Amino acid sequence: MQLINESKSKKTVNKKNLKAALTLATTALLGSVQVSATPTSVAAEEDTWSFDSAFLYYSEADRVSAAEAVFNAKKTYSDDSILNLKLTVDALTGASANGAVAQPDVQTFTRPSGKGDYEIKAGETPLDDTFHDTRVQLNAQWTQALAPNVTGSVGGHLSKEYDYLSLGINGNIAYDFNKKNSTISFGLSHFQDTFTPEGGLPKPFASMPLAYHDSDDESGHDATRMGSDDDKTTSDIMVGFTQVINRRMVTQFNYSYSVVDGYLTDPFKVLSLLNNQGLAQDYLYENRPDKRTKQSVFAQTKYHFDETILDVSYRYMWDDWEIKSHTVDTRFYIPLGNGSYLEPHLRFYQQGAAQFYQPFLMEDDATPEFASADYRIGEMTAYTVGLKYGMKLADGNDLSFRLEYYRQDPKSAGHKAPGALADMEIYQSIDAIIAQVSYSF
Amino acid sequence: MNNKFKYSLVFAAVTLASGCSSLGVEPWERDLLATEQMALTSSPIDSALDDHIYFSKEASSGGKSFGGGGCGCN
Amino acid sequence: MKKLREIKLAKRADGFCIQFDAMASQCEVIIETSDPALAKQLGEQVSTEVWRIEDKYSRYTSDSLCSQINQSQGKPIAIDDETFALLNFADTCYQLSDGVFDITSGVLRKVWCFDCSDNIPTALAIAKVMENVGWHKIKYDNRQMILPINMEIDFGGIGKEYAVDRAIVLINSVTEQPVLVNLGGDLATNSSRKNGQPWQVGVEHPGFVDKKTIVVSLFKGALATSGDAKRFLEKNGQRYSHILNAKTGWPIEHAPRSMTVSAPQCIQAGILATLAQMQGENAEQFLVEQGIKHWAIR
Repeated sequence: MQLINESKSKKTVNKKNLKAALTLATTALLGSVQVSATPTSVAAEEDTWSFDSAFLYYSEADRVSAAEAVFNAKKTYSDDSILNLKLTVDALTGASANGAVAQPDVQTFTRPSGKGDYEIKAGETPLDDTFHDTRVQLNAQWTQALAPNVTGSVGGHLSKEYDYLSLGINGNIAYDFNKKNSTISFGLSHFQDTFTPEGGLPKPFASMPLAYHDSDDESGHDATRMGSDDDKTTSDIMVGFTQVINRRMVTQFNYSYSVVDGYLTDPFKVLSLLNNQGLAQDYLYENRPDKRTKQSVFAQTKYHFDETILDVSYRYMWDDWEIKSHTVDTRFYIPLGNGSYLEPHLRFYQQGAAQFYQPFLMEDDATPEFASADYRIGEMTAYTVGLKYGMKLADGNDLSFRLEYYRQDPKSAGHKAPGALADMEIYQSIDAIIAQVSYSF
Repeated sequence: MNNKFKYSLVFAAVTLASGCSSLGVEPWERDLLATEQMALTSSPIDSALDDHIYFSKEASSGGKSFGGGGCGCN
Repeated sequence: MKKLREIKLAKRADGFCIQFDAMASQCEVIIETSDPALAKQLGEQVSTEVWRIEDKYSRYTSDSLCSQINQSQGKPIAIDDETFALLNFADTCYQLSDGVFDITSGVLRKVWCFDCSDNIPTALAIAKVMENVGWHKIKYDNRQMILPINMEIDFGGIGKEYAVDRAIVLINSVTEQPVLVNLGGDLATNSSRKNGQPWQVGVEHPGFVDKKTIVVSLFKGALATSGDAKRFLEKNGQRYSHILNAKTGWPIEHAPRSMTVSAPQCIQAGILATLAQMQGENAEQFLVEQGIKHWAIR
């Protein structure tokens, strides 16, 4: 008879963690025996690719329109590592506000290329209609488990326009705890951008008409320039906390700290220099600080009702340019059966003006250190109303349509409009339509 | 915005963090949370496209994900 | 006597229900499918598996492996991988409960007869039977086990739950359709229902006529119940539950009359329900501390 070594077969059990010990014992028990039935439809775990594509059309009334196409390929490996590759191509055409204010008379501006002029009718906001740009962007992201409950992710970014190059890297690490109900994450990202605007970089507050005074003589133009290209770096730190509240609810909190350093001025934007009757005497190139430190807090909650899902988020952003903004974004997912759904979307945005924002310069005032009349850093409210309709196709692929209306209402930050400007519309609203088709397979 | 709000937000986050032992679900109760519609970013492409639009039209960016630079965006 | 074994297939609004008798319980398999052939195939496979486990591990069946072990008279007896795995699981439960749960405690029924009477055995009688109780006296490895003479093992505390889990393993290898397996109240499911809704499971508490059936929403995972209102003794106002402490030979005092527990696997739910009952008046607290969902009746 063979002697049985008792100590070999009977193990000691950690009583502290009852559930873990039982799970282990259960796995040993249920995993130990061959299943006697013949498997008929066992789906083996293997690497899978999934693809998302989208086409978006953005169009502002009388201003720019943009077409953007995205193709995303995602490979999920059997160990749950994920490789994500994304190609984005967009094309922009149309007119963009050049920063000057409307006048009671016709205004003439030179195009940034220096070739040709464009005239703005009396009473209209000056728009530079020469914008057309094509951009190609590549993103790659690799995500994998580094340890039980620890997920790491690294990514690269490349974006190229004919006058702009952006290179970026990012890294993120997330730790799940409390049965994966809580996650803390920490991320870093860094972008290195190079801007080579057509016509070079204008000197702060240089006169635009002077630059193009005589198209045969380049010296006047060159005197207003300070080089052909400049750099900008953007460094972000983000910490996040995600918490599952219950079976129906999940929340997220993020804090971001971002430093943008380098050439932050828009080389195509000018300010009208007005006399005390409010009439434009000159157009001077804007100038912004070469550093901006932004911070933001972000909170999001998703709640699953019996059928529908409510998604609400809020962001508060503030920076050392004294811009403060509030963003509320709400989506409501309504399933219609058979995999189709409707999703209304509401977004509200409000920002305060940068400390150096001003809609125009006055001849009698001393030239400030920094000034910009770009309405995008002025006081503004904006809202978006949209609706998305998605459906599951017979082959299991997803098709969706999205149509949104976006309106920006720039507001006066308290700058008094002199004389002739009293009747002019300085803060013109912008209406835009966003239309998108997405297909996933 | 006043500081009071900021503090209350931080307070909410801390309350949630410290209370998390009683929050959450068992793995087999994740039926709703596991659906793709319940993912915090349920439609990454839409989010990326929106981020790009608002990045180029407003003074704020990021918050939910990295704000980034990445384009001239005039 | 050969047991009469048959399965009944019935059409439901959202699929099929297969019923059969096994392990002294009513068993059912509910499958959400429109394919009657698949339902029939699953019903046959599940019932065959459950009956196989019953035939192998029931101490009431004279030719079962369990009976062979109990009649081995202290001689080594060959065991297979499945039995070895079950013994290992029983060993874990024994250690986790500090010996209160013990699959050798079945011999105590020779003195404890839970027939709602006041028939309380004497301490001497209990002590005598306790000589033949004690998991630590058993020697086993992956090929054979030695059960000392006069001792018995009983898989009654884990067998039915094990059968439920085995049925789910089997089902998962055949289909991805939502299926619920219910062996007399110990049950498990492979996924939520097709409409994304949970299975509504009525937890029946045998004998509690005045208690409303608790309806539990189950998305995935298992439920098991420990306790039976009909099985107790009562003397001088003192109620003795049928949950015996294998260390003392005496019933656990102040245990809930019924304890239902949910867990990913049925065998976990079952053992957690039993371990909780063994905590007596601290049964609920025990589960709360472990963060385990449960429904108790006192």
